[in-house]
Parts: sequence; structure tokens; C-alpha cells
Amino acid sequence: MSILVVGLNHKSAPVEVREKLAFNANNISTALSLFLHRHQTTETVILSTCNRVEMYVSSLDGTVKTEDVLSFFADFHKITLNEFSPYMYHYTDDRAVNHLFFVTASLDSMVLGESQILSQVKEAYTTASMEEATGKVMNQLFQQALNVAKIVHTKTAIGKKKVSISSVAVEFAEKIFQDFTGKMVLVVGAGEMCELLLKHLYEEGARTIVVANRTFERAQEIANAFQGQAIKYELLGDYLAKADIIISSTSAPHYVIHVDQVKDAIRHRRGNPMFLIDIAVPRDIEPEIANIDNVYLYNIDDLQSVVSQNIDERSREVEKCRAIVEEEVDHFMARLEEMKIEPAITLLRNHFHAIGKEELDRLKTKLKGIDNGDWEQVVYTVERTINKLLHHPAKVAKQEAKNGGGYRYVEIIKKLFGIFHTPDHT
Amino acid sequence: MAIFSHIPFVIVILLYFISSVWSIGYIVKPAFFNKKVGKWSMMMGFLIHSGFLIFLGLESGNIPITNVYESFVSLIWCILFVYINLDYLYKLPSLDTFLVPVVTALSIWSLTFDGGNLTITVSLQNFWLIAHIIPIFVGYASFTISFSLSIMYLTQQRQLKHKLFGPLFTKLPSLEGIDRLMWKTISFGFPLLTLGLVFGTFWVKTQNILGEQWYLDYKVVLGLATWLIYAALLHMRLVSSFHGTKIACLTIAGFCLVLFTFIGTFFMGSKHAFQKVSEQTHEKF
Repeated sequence: MSILVVGLNHKSAPVEVREKLAFNANNISTALSLFLHRHQTTETVILSTCNRVEMYVSSLDGTVKTEDVLSFFADFHKITLNEFSPYMYHYTDDRAVNHLFFVTASLDSMVLGESQILSQVKEAYTTASMEEATGKVMNQLFQQALNVAKIVHTKTAIGKKKVSISSVAVEFAEKIFQDFTGKMVLVVGAGEMCELLLKHLYEEGARTIVVANRTFERAQEIANAFQGQAIKYELLGDYLAKADIIISSTSAPHYVIHVDQVKDAIRHRRGNPMFLIDIAVPRDIEPEIANIDNVYLYNIDDLQSVVSQNIDERSREVEKCRAIVEEEVDHFMARLEEMKIEPAITLLRNHFHAIGKEELDRLKTKLKGIDNGDWEQVVYTVERTINKLLHHPAKVAKQEAKNGGGYRYVEIIKKLFGIFHTPDHT
Repeated sequence: MAIFSHIPFVIVILLYFISSVWSIGYIVKPAFFNKKVGKWSMMMGFLIHSGFLIFLGLESGNIPITNVYESFVSLIWCILFVYINLDYLYKLPSLDTFLVPVVTALSIWSLTFDGGNLTITVSLQNFWLIAHIIPIFVGYASFTISFSLSIMYLTQQRQLKHKLFGPLFTKLPSLEGIDRLMWKTISFGFPLLTLGLVFGTFWVKTQNILGEQWYLDYKVVLGLATWLIYAALLHMRLVSSFHGTKIACLTIAGFCLVLFTFIGTFFMGSKHAFQKVSEQTHEKF
């Protein structure tokens, strides 16, 4: 019973290679069943996201090798080995388990600590189990991986701080306004970043959205996407006092919003706070505006520096996460060793019970006149004796197996009791 | 006061102190300072505090405001009583961090009045006294909370302005949320203060407890000033719908006046129906 992972990720391979190997929702089931057809008595899960393609395989005594998986990739995607094999990595047993736990806990992700990978792993596992490609080992492995990810996320701060410009901006807005319902968001300019921020605010409940842009059509386009209102760029001044949140990202070479305008606006607003985000370079909003009471102005550098601080904080948590993962890998490997010995113990039990039954049958023919009640007592005593005899060795064997060397015990059991069997793939 | 009756309040102060340390510590090092420890030590303190007031009341057979110390202890109880209800209703995060230290400081200060010889001269079985004191105390309690909220507002405002995004920044609620609750506490306290002052005026007019020139009593004058400052706040908010920093600063000023009216006036020589024990004894003979 061994575990193997073969794959590539955003660190090991460029996107041109990753896209060649990627699986999609349509072909992943076919791939799973083809692989199982090729290598029977194995279990497999394919994890394919935009940053990684990985195949997890569990086979008895490591009958499936890295080369088998590589040639499967090549055959399935109809590409040659040379095109992708230099970018591939492969790990076995505890290192493979460690890798999966690391990936699921998003410690291997492009954005450290992001939670998307957790749902992707869950989906990959569900797909595989629907295709009946998973068994005892993969079920345990993936359920444990998802569990470990949850432990890592709750026990450490790996996923706590926001690490994108737009989420940081929204976090700030939430420290000024209790909620966004009834708040007016004024968007000046129509950059991609603006749209992203707007999307975040919309998701948080902002519904009154006004867009001003030099090209009115573009303003309309964005406004429509968020059920907002497009206004002529010249009317911008009229809306300033009504706006609670202003996002500016024009390509104008000069300031678009001036101190006097905002001073005037805040007077009209009677001290109601205003939140201004300037994501344009060169800047759109006169920096002195930050000095006005109840006005909060942030530019792209302010947001970026918070993002980098938060990224640093996340990476400082990695060591703590690594320790948790390692501990969990040890637990899992112990469990795996225990699992290895389980079939042998079952066989041993069956073997003993078979002997018992044989002897009981022989006895029954001798004791013809025995009444049913007495006979039940005899059967009960024999079975109880067998169970009692086996209880201790089974317990010790399992315990010893946990510390590694489960196979040694299997061999000993087989040898001592003369049990031979054709093992199944678990 | 006998020494043994003094001990419960010291225990209360100790519990409030623990609660303060934990509620502040929670901001800096949440892994070590469990929020629950802070909350439960405050609740425990409040329970003993309540028991202590009942004990004082039973001992003297009156509501526990027979001297400056007792009134102070009762006022602090009112602050926590209003806070616990407010916290249950609105659950504003981290308010305890700003309020419990204020309560602890006031409690320690109140100890210095213990053994002071100013006792109340008017009959405590009087309806007017109850009608005067209780609304004012609950009003003051409400203003104390609005004071803590103002400090919280200004802290968060400063952090946003100066781009200080530390652990306190993440734990404090939004400016708008603080502002709303600040407004609620002021508009709850103001009618009570008004009611208390009106009853006080009736009382002083009908029973002549402060003498002919009652309106020159420091406490009366400052009480009116306090009323005016909160009236101004209300006016700014209701008529001009003012928000933000200015309101917060004015709320702090209002609270300073509350404190001065309540305690400061005794230092200025205002007796306001309190009299030195020695004088009372003197009069008897």
C-alpha cells in the first residue's frame, strides 16, 4: 500500500505547460476511469486547477510507478513526454501525504492562505469518489487533508489578513461605515481596478452606484453591470457632496478632485465621513484633501503597503502551519500502517473462527441428544474464547504497526498461523 | 464605616481591574488574554457590587446615597448596569476595553471618599429625592458610556487618518457604528437628566432645602451647565445633523462637566444637601 503524487504547479512549470496537462469538468471522469482501467486495484484522485495539475495514486506495494502516471498524462493529452516531464515533481508515501496537506492548507498556493484551494481539493475528491476511483486509502487521505486545512486555518493567522488591493480598500470602508446600504459610491474613471473594487463593494451591499467617465458609453457599461447610474463627467462636482465613497482612477495627468470641492462637500455633509480611494497614477485626488476633518483619503501606495504587510504576516505564519502539517502527516502515516495490518488481522480472525466452527460441527455430531439451549451455550463459549485469545495480539499488532513496520507483523502473523491469501487492493 | 464592610468593594475594584487588564490585553495579545476572563470578572464584580449596595442599604435602612462615598459607589453601579444592558442590545465590539478602565479608575477614586464626613441632611424617605437622584444617576451613567464611545471614536478616527493599522484598528468597530451608539446614549441620558433637574427644582422650591439662594449653589449652576452642553449637542445633531469628530470632542467635554458637577463641587465647598458630621453633632448640642 503506497501513496504517490505526480504533478506540476505554478512554481515548477510555466502556464504553457500547465494548460497542456490540465483536466476540465468534461474530461476528468473519463481520465479517472481510463486510468483505473489501465491500473486495476489502484485508487486515484486528479486535482486540476489553474495553478496545478496533480495525480494522487495509491497502489498495493507501489505497483504504479511515476513513469506509469507520466505516460498516462502523455497518452491522455496526446503530447510527448519531453514536453512536460522536466517540469514534473513526484513524491511518495509520507512526502506525498505532506505535499497534499501542504497544498490543501494553501501553503503552496500563489496567494498564501487563500481558501479557494480547499474547495478545489474537495471537488477533486468528490469527483473521484463519484467515479468510484477512491477507496479506503484515498478516502482517509483526502478527508484528513481537508481536516488539516481547517485546523491550520483556525489555529494560525495564515488566511486572516486581506491580501488584495480591493479587499483591503473594502476593509477600510467597513471601518468607516457600518454597512453600505444607502451609501452612495461614486466612481470616477473606468479602469479595471475600479470595477474590481466596485464588485467587492457591491457584494458587501452597496447599491447606489454612480459612474462618471470621460467616455459616457464606458460609464454606462460599468453602471449597467452594477445596476448603477452613469453621469456626464462634467456633472461630477454636483455629486461629490452626496457620495460617501469615492473611487477615482482616471488617466488624467492632473488632479480631478480638488481641496475646495471636498471642503465644500464635507460642509454640506455636516461632518458625515467621506472615504476617498485614489488608485490612479498619476494621482487624481489632491493629497491635501487628507487633512480635512472627517475625510479619509488613501492612494494606491497606502493600500499596497498594507497588502505587503499582510502578505509578510501570512508568510510569518508558515512555520507554525508547517509544524501542524508535519504532526498530522505523522498521525496519518501511523493510521496507514494500522490499516496495512487490518486485513491480516481479519484473516487471522476468520482462520480461528473457521477452526472453531469445524470443531463445533464435529462435536455436534457426537452430542446428538443435546438440547438447543445447552448447545447455544457451547457455541457462545467457543466464540468467546477465540475472541479473548485474539484480542490482545490484535491490539498489540495494531499498536506496533503504528510505529512503522506493519508489514513485518503481517508476515509474522501469516507465518505463525499458516495463513495465505490473495490480498485485495486495500 | 467598619473595616469589614469595606472589603467587598475592594474585591469589586480588584475584579474590575482584572477585567480592564484582560480587555486591553485582548487587543494586543488575544492568544493569552481570553476575552471571557475579562467579561466574567466584570460580571462577578458587578454581582458583588450589587450585593454590597444592598448591604449598605439594609445597614442604613435607606437607598445607599447617605454620603458622598455611597453615592459614588451607586453611580458606578449605574454605569455598569446601563453598559450591561447596552452590550446585550447592541453588542458593540471592544466597548469594554474603553469603558471598564474608566469604571475601575472611578471606583478607585471613590475609595478616597470613604470615611469622608459629608452626610446627607435631608430625609431619605423623601419621594423628591428618589425622583431627583435616580434619573440623574442613570443619565450620568449613560453619559459616561458616551464618553467612552467618544474616546473610541477619536482613537479609530486617528488610526484611519494616520494610517495606523495595528491590532486595535482591526478590533474596533466602524466610525459610523460608534457614532450611532454614542448618539443613542446621549439621547437616552438627556431626558433623564432633564427629568432629574426638574424634580430637583420642584423639591428645592417646595421644601427649601438649599436655602433662599439655592440657585447660587455650585452644583445647581454646574448641573445647568451640563444640561446646556448636552442640549447643544442634541441641537447640533438634530437641527444641523452634525456627525463626527466635533460631536465626539463635545461629548468628552460634557462628561468632564458631569464629573465636575458630581464630585468637583464638593471640593469647591458646595454642600448641596450634604453636611459635615461634625457640624450636625454640633447643632444637636
